[in-house]
Amino acid sequence: MDLAIYDLKLHRVRFIATVIGVGLLFTIVLAMNGLYRGNINEGLALIKATNPDLWAVERYRGGPFNEQSTLPEFYHYSIKAMPGVEQASPFIYYTVERPISGKSRHFSIVGYDVFGGLGGPQKIYAGRNIEQAHYEMVAHPKLGVRLGDMIPLGLHTYTVVGLTKEAVSSDGEALVYLSLPDAQEVLFQRDNEEIRSQRERLLRTLSGQSYLSQSQAEKLLPKLQSDTHIINAILVRLKPGADRTEVARGIEKWLYLSAFSTEEELQLMLKGRLASMTKQLLLFRTLLLIISVIIVALVIYTFTMEKIRSIAVMKLIGAPNWVIIRLVMEQSLLLTIGAFLFGLALIHNTYQLFPRTLLLIPGDDLVTFIVAFAGGIIASILGLWHALKTQPAMALGG
Amino acid sequence: MEILRIEGLSKIFGSGHLEVRALEDIKLSVSEGDLVALLGPSGSGKTTLLLCISLILDPTEGKIVFDGQTIFQKNGWAGVDMRRLRREKIGFIFQSHNLIPFLTARQNVLLPLGLVGLKGEKAESRVRELLEYMEIADRADYLPALLSGGEQQRVAIARALANNAKLILADEPTASLDTARGVKVMELLKKIAKENQSAVIAVSHDERMIEGFDYVYRLKDGRIVGEKTNSTLN
Repeated sequence: MDLAIYDLKLHRVRFIATVIGVGLLFTIVLAMNGLYRGNINEGLALIKATNPDLWAVERYRGGPFNEQSTLPEFYHYSIKAMPGVEQASPFIYYTVERPISGKSRHFSIVGYDVFGGLGGPQKIYAGRNIEQAHYEMVAHPKLGVRLGDMIPLGLHTYTVVGLTKEAVSSDGEALVYLSLPDAQEVLFQRDNEEIRSQRERLLRTLSGQSYLSQSQAEKLLPKLQSDTHIINAILVRLKPGADRTEVARGIEKWLYLSAFSTEEELQLMLKGRLASMTKQLLLFRTLLLIISVIIVALVIYTFTMEKIRSIAVMKLIGAPNWVIIRLVMEQSLLLTIGAFLFGLALIHNTYQLFPRTLLLIPGDDLVTFIVAFAGGIIASILGLWHALKTQPAMALGG
Repeated sequence: MEILRIEGLSKIFGSGHLEVRALEDIKLSVSEGDLVALLGPSGSGKTTLLLCISLILDPTEGKIVFDGQTIFQKNGWAGVDMRRLRREKIGFIFQSHNLIPFLTARQNVLLPLGLVGLKGEKAESRVRELLEYMEIADRADYLPALLSGGEQQRVAIARALANNAKLILADEPTASLDTARGVKVMELLKKIAKENQSAVIAVSHDERMIEGFDYVYRLKDGRIVGEKTNSTLN
């Protein structure tokens, strides 16, 4: 006779309400799991999709994703000339907020050499890749654009020629691919009035120098204005058989840059930008699991206290301890398992509604279940302790 | 055949100036089919004696022989599995019925059978038989909360009888019933003692309820101060 089930049948409304309550907590735990995985997946997606043999970035910087890295565009010619290097392409990556279809959208732009260079989208699911030097873009559908849409960015309008879901930005935002010059133009686009006023300021400074004539100052001016031929990284493909470590050492030694393999880039992200979020989510998950266990423990304790006289009667009529243990523990585990299944069903049916990508992995669900199951056993300890120390004599008397 | 013999049983709580002698030099003998009443006011030691007989309270001294086996003497309990003894040989009837609230009447009676390993049709048949005997078969699938006090007590008696207990211990079984229902319950206990040959020990403070009992022991301050048998009663 399953006493736990009969008891729960009698108190089914309260039991179901508790299952739903604890289940919602488990939903949040599972959502945090998905958020954690989604965060890592999105944070690494562009690095994995780009996947060159080496990333050459500004010296002592963990760029271009984990940290800002700035270097002159022409450096890629120098790298290309190095032994063991088959191809070296300039790469630019930055985040902007611009109005798209009347709404302000936050997204990231990748600029790359569209004529055979590295760093472009590999998998286009609709349309084609960028084929012109200017005014074409490939975008992630998260941006809310369709094939053929004309998107104004800065001074120019760009046509959506392709759609890709291959990667998102490291923040999980939509990604837009542009040709390198277009990306630089969007990045460095400034107001004409601001350009004029900066030019005037610079000219005044130069004219004030006693060793420069007015005409010399005017000739020097264009040379001193800010350079827009700036990139964030150089993507390197090695020749077959080339030693990656040797080439990386060469880049670091001769060009005074830092060079990382794709695996090292991934580790930079995991140990850098993604680490604090990972720890935060782990802390939240731990706290929520502890709260769930405490709630289950208190509910089971209350359930047990309500049955304490019945437990005393059972002990008096000779029920062995295992009957009592089974009664309490079974209720605790039914509550925990029921709540977990509720949470699991809820999150698997609603994860698409979350603003950030939730990547739900069966392994994570299983680990959470094992932790919750162990928690259910721990939660029953308080009730069990009380049940087992109940004296059968309590059944006698009024 | 003698079911229970108690010799020189005492129970002392506390020590020194806090010492309370709850029971002192109790002697008692109960045989199959005997109907025994323990009478006394509150604090006279009735419940303490019942707890000792129920094997849930250690006497301080004395001897208890149950079903031919010495289970307690001055060295303590004689290696007896007391819970097993209780579930196999003793039936309990309580003052407030103490049915398990989440089990139906039928399941309440089934519970002690399950504890001794009797399951399936044999167990169900025994439950039906007992509920019919208690004239409550039509309420078998009701939860205790839906039964009247008298009906609950009849289910409790059926539960106490389920394992053919040799000794039925009844703790004020009529206390929560009106007089008419109380009398009916006592009549049932008499019927059980005679028909099942179970010994019944009932604790009561109401003399009206013990009419027809074979033995009546009066307790006062932990001692048996009066003893009547059926012959002396009549």
